[in-house]
Amino acid sequence: MNSLLYIEHLEKRIDEFHLGPINLEIEPGTITALVGNNGSGKSTFLKLIMNLAKPEKGNIKVNNIFTHGENEDWKNSVAYLPQTVLGWDAFTGNTLKELIKALYPNWDEELFLKMVNLFEIPLNKKFSKLSQGVQQKLNLALTLPRNAPLLLLDEPTYFMDIPSKKILMDLIVDWMEPGDRSIIIASHQIDDIRKLSDYLFVLHNGKFLGHFEKEELIENYARYWITSSLEDATIPGVVLQEGNVIISNRISETENYLESQNIKWNKRNTLELDDIITLLLTQNKQ
Amino acid sequence: MELPIRISKDSREPIYHQIVNQFKALIAGGHLSAGAPLPSIRALSKDLEISIITTRRAYQDLELQGFIKTLQGKGTFVAEIAEDLKEEVKVTSVHNIIENAVDTALSYDYNLSQVKEIFLTILKDKEKGE
Repeated sequence: MNSLLYIEHLEKRIDEFHLGPINLEIEPGTITALVGNNGSGKSTFLKLIMNLAKPEKGNIKVNNIFTHGENEDWKNSVAYLPQTVLGWDAFTGNTLKELIKALYPNWDEELFLKMVNLFEIPLNKKFSKLSQGVQQKLNLALTLPRNAPLLLLDEPTYFMDIPSKKILMDLIVDWMEPGDRSIIIASHQIDDIRKLSDYLFVLHNGKFLGHFEKEELIENYARYWITSSLEDATIPGVVLQEGNVIISNRISETENYLESQNIKWNKRNTLELDDIITLLLTQNKQ
Repeated sequence: MELPIRISKDSREPIYHQIVNQFKALIAGGHLSAGAPLPSIRALSKDLEISIITTRRAYQDLELQGFIKTLQGKGTFVAEIAEDLKEEVKVTSVHNIIENAVDTALSYDYNLSQVKEIFLTILKDKEKGE
């Protein structure tokens, strides 16, 4: 299958900050959550894909076209929603729509009107007069209907109220139905990650920690309540120990060791996704 | 459409397997009748908070076993199931639930005769209509 996005050996340096190396391939039909601490390089990574920042090393292909080349046809295959847009303040939603619609041949007017209606966006007010939440809604209504196969969303729901977040999730599920589109969504909202993502792409201070299938990642971790004495045992696979509770990310190694040492546990459970993300983003500090 | 499917992430049974078994039980029990439309893979993945990789695997398994069918461009539907297959599913799902209950009891260090006692008490209560 052709990948919508293909990235190899990507590296970027900004002063002391170093992003990468990153290798990533995005298949059609999938949603990838871009997860990381503040300042981990998520936004920079999305800008690199859009050719808005230049990498030191590596290649990026969108729909099989190099984004740094002469051929700019790839731009029709990707729609990007940045955290903040520049230069929109003086325009109304109506004007912005006409400007953007002209650039995208697959523009879906019906979807645009549906989103305006669901989010109750006033189209005759200047962008600068809208609240941050409404600005985000308008921005989304101007991005999804472009119907580009690859959608890059940078913190799309940060300022939105709870009902609007739910509406957006349903819109995204519908938008994905054709099965040949993909989304990369940078988000700190655990609900977005839980309900929408198939894969998690994790960055910590610019370092690429992995590209995980959601259930595989969850299945890798388990928490045990130990009933016998642990003393100072170093248990293989254990990433966190608090009293008699241990967390492992190499379950079979841990269980084999516990059994061989005759250490008993009376309860084992799975970790929540946010606990796993926290472990990934804090362990790496040491 | 919201389906009464609940997955347990703590269970040792793989998630796709839990989905397959619960669909089979819903179909065999008549809660989902032949021809009924099923949620898309993406929509079910959102509701169950799992990836489409897992949901797709469950749907493929169900299709292979003849419980559902996919019509190109139209969606996924419950298939016609033979009566003897329905019966078989009912027997297996009841068997599995009781087996799980026994396993839980054993994990609490009950012995088999104690489990039997509990089971008989429940049956007696049911006979009395409680």
